Amino acid sequence: MEEKRAFEPRIVAFCCNWCSYAGADLAGGMRLKYVPNILPIRVMCSGRISPHFILKAFQKGADGVLVTGCHIGDCHYMKGNYITAKRVAILRDLLGFVGINPERLKLEWIAGSEGEKFARVANEFTEQIRKLGPSPVPDIPYNA
Amino acid sequence: MDALRSKVEELLKSGEIAGFLGMRLVHQHPYPHLFTLKDIDLLSTLTIGDVRYPLAKIILDIARAYRDAKLGIMVRGCDESALFELFKNFQLDPEKVVTLGVACPAEQGEKCQCPRPNPLNMIAGEKREVVADRSDLKKIEEMGENERYQYWMSQFGKCIKCYGCRNICPVCFCEVCTLEHESLIQRGEIPPEVPNFHLVRAFHMAGRCVDCGLCEETCPARIPLRTLYRKVREIVKTHFDYLPGQDSESVPPLQLLGDGSFEISEK
Repeated sequence: MEEKRAFEPRIVAFCCNWCSYAGADLAGGMRLKYVPNILPIRVMCSGRISPHFILKAFQKGADGVLVTGCHIGDCHYMKGNYITAKRVAILRDLLGFVGINPERLKLEWIAGSEGEKFARVANEFTEQIRKLGPSPVPDIPYNA
Repeated sequence: MDALRSKVEELLKSGEIAGFLGMRLVHQHPYPHLFTLKDIDLLSTLTIGDVRYPLAKIILDIARAYRDAKLGIMVRGCDESALFELFKNFQLDPEKVVTLGVACPAEQGEKCQCPRPNPLNMIAGEKREVVADRSDLKKIEEMGENERYQYWMSQFGKCIKCYGCRNICPVCFCEVCTLEHESLIQRGEIPPEVPNFHLVRAFHMAGRCVDCGLCEETCPARIPLRTLYRKVREIVKTHFDYLPGQDSESVPPLQLLGDGSFEISEK
């Protein structure tokens, strides 16, 4: 029989290659301590993050999804993060409409020099998800 | 009707258009048909009819096959709205499309809850007022989060993955569809991943959906898709002040990279 364990949030973090992943790397390089609940996925640009990736993460059981990219104006591809900002804004409202708490999806701009910010965002977001509890999506009876 | 017929005849005979996409009465049932000079006698069977087909989508297929041809098309308000979106997304060349507008009769407009009954270049039918009704959205917004969640998941659970909503949608123009991507949507599962499948489609309606309602009309599982996409329309309207299908000039906010006018505040 499986022992019932305390809830540990599973969080997928999409990080762009040029800023936020470098930020995450710096957090490690600075030996900053942050929660182990974050699963980073590196993409070339936050504009590459299709809403489908985010929804698939929720489908596969993520309790929260963190989307990170370069600050506005700093995008390696000039305007890639503009569309990220728009997509996340729309997706959050859509999630709310179907009864999934929009707080489970978060967008943050993290520069390559902001290792400290990456660690802080990871910690804060994990705490926020811990308060919200497990995502209801994996319990949907229709899915195999 | 006669006005439409003679206008089509005139356009075909003058050579201004190579074909006219309209509806034709066959065995008392209206079907979409491309009228050409070769079978101009068939114009006597031209009809407007009371059923809707995604004519904008059909003309897109024809235009892709005959890139240089200038085509005419019969448009209801919804067809024209869809054409606007196809123009703005560079799928069709507005220079190569001649629209002849027809306004639907009042009872059809009511049945469709039509948000835009009057096409620009109106040849047949009478102008009507639009009645805005968002009671379906309000009903859901008044539910609690959990109730809303249960409601939508049970609706999505009815899906038989026929792709009918996508296939009939006049603004679904992609040649490669993310809903068929094997690693994003598991193959061979019915219902398809709840809620992934439907939310992805809903997201893709952002800045595109013209609220024609064909998706819901065609859905064999009777999922209230229109309500969902209407909400997406509202979301886009709230954030970007953009309502698809109103004109052929404005810039859709989700066009790749956009015009850069949208900034979100730094936290």
